[in-house]
Amino acid sequence: MKAKTRETVMRIVFMLAACLSILAVLLICLFLFANGIPAFREIGLWNFISGKLWRPSTDVYGILPMILGSLYVTAGALVIGVPIGILMAVFLARFCPEKLHAVLKPAVDLLAGIPSVVYGFFGLMVIVPAIRNAFGCSGTGLLAASLMLGIMILPTIISVSEAAIRAVPDSYYEGSLALGASHERSVFRAVLPAARSGIVSAVILGVGRAVGETMAVIMVAGNQAVVPSSIIKGLRTLTANIVLEMGYAADLHRDALIATAVVLFVFILIINLLFSVMKRRSAA
Amino acid sequence: MRARILAVSIFAALFCLLTGCSAGDFGLDKEITVITREDGSGTRDAFIRLFDIFAVDEYGRSYDATVMTADTQPSTGVVIASVTDNKNAIGYISVGALCKGIKALSVNGAAATAENVKNGSYNVARAFNIATLQNPSSAAADFIAFLLSAEGQAVVEESGYISAVDGAESFRGSHVFGTVTVSGSSSVAPVMQKLKEAYETINPHVTVEVNISDSSTGVSDAANGSCDIGMTSRELKDSELSRGLVSTAIALDGIAIIVNPENSIDSLSPEQIKAIYTGQTSTWSEVIAYEG
Repeated sequence: MKAKTRETVMRIVFMLAACLSILAVLLICLFLFANGIPAFREIGLWNFISGKLWRPSTDVYGILPMILGSLYVTAGALVIGVPIGILMAVFLARFCPEKLHAVLKPAVDLLAGIPSVVYGFFGLMVIVPAIRNAFGCSGTGLLAASLMLGIMILPTIISVSEAAIRAVPDSYYEGSLALGASHERSVFRAVLPAARSGIVSAVILGVGRAVGETMAVIMVAGNQAVVPSSIIKGLRTLTANIVLEMGYAADLHRDALIATAVVLFVFILIINLLFSVMKRRSAA
Repeated sequence: MRARILAVSIFAALFCLLTGCSAGDFGLDKEITVITREDGSGTRDAFIRLFDIFAVDEYGRSYDATVMTADTQPSTGVVIASVTDNKNAIGYISVGALCKGIKALSVNGAAATAENVKNGSYNVARAFNIATLQNPSSAAADFIAFLLSAEGQAVVEESGYISAVDGAESFRGSHVFGTVTVSGSSSVAPVMQKLKEAYETINPHVTVEVNISDSSTGVSDAANGSCDIGMTSRELKDSELSRGLVSTAIALDGIAIIVNPENSIDSLSPEQIKAIYTGQTSTWSEVIAYEG
């Protein structure tokens, strides 16, 4: 009898814990949309999203440069992070000697644990001066942000891809060997295609990380609210726009920043939806 | 063995890339890297007012005309780091934050020092304000009286800022008890912390709590009563004044225009600084040739 009571009590505790986390998500949604929609109404959804001019001092709010900024930076990060990440995952899963793996795997995990402001400092002190010296410009901008985000999304891409590659049944690899293919050919032509949906999930998770990254990007992107005209020019991402101005903003400016967060939220929702679609497909 | 040679040569190449090359040197014909603070920062607000960096749009409204391609940095620290690193950069920070590795330019021939701000020859200065509701609690009123007294203003000057009260009277404490909460701007907080310590030694019956956030949070906390005193490094907006707040200056802070020590320019006129920040000039030689 006593055990049963305890069982019921614990079940309620667990349920409350689950409800609490769902409540947090619901409250964030509610806050974002309740506070963001007035700004959409005042500025006009289309003006807000397609406006090229961000000028809070006269209440002109257009976030097209920031939307493009986020997209450019994410694309740049993918160009750098995806090939390196996937090749690294292949190496770890299929080529790496056991001893080396014991060193490399924790190193990759460590990369994931470094706080983003530390990445930002690294970018500001190493990547930015390197680009400045190479191109003779200010150094901050799309290229610096892409390089840094490319490094930052590596751990996500590597660990998820490695797990996907390891999950491919050995019979694929062995079958390919039995047909006379070399080790390399078997890995790249039989195992890797079989792990495709897992790898795509890894990339989508990497996109999520790149879009949401804030602190590190602010420090190296230059943060100009203009559409960059070349890869060494500065840009501002959606997240940077919110953080830079939130502390000081009042009135419609504040609402416009919350509306920026709504746009970002929709971005992340789309990415998460894509992720679950991919996961479902890989399960099927 | 081969791997080791490869590793060494990669490091060597990286080292050259990071330290070598001459593209980053200072030169009068080089493009200026203009560094500004984020929109709404108290320092930026004061800077654009002082140098009149405004333009008028097609509806006749004036707006902040800082050149759109300026690097926007989120804090004084990053502005300093960028100018230390980049030989062709120009930025602006509080005079109190000047340090090694950067060079403060003279404006109109006056060097950016606290003394020159005080005697008026360096006129690039702004006020640190406190925002309060009309009827503060007796403890808060006593603390505010201290801030504006000769003793309080002496603390302000010791901290490297400039007194905002002319001919301040000495502090006559009243017998009050309680807690005073102060919240707001991170630029004002360091000096407020010192003022709090000085006040608590004079009147140990009152506890002062200083919460650091930012100007807007401080003002809105003061307006809705969740703190007694809001600190701001900018002037109050009309929408904030209409919530019944009163703004009082407690200190003045100079704004220094900073460049890399290798920059050969030592002094600029306000018109030249405006030309740089509105994008009318893009190289140092153009700035030197520029005449309002």
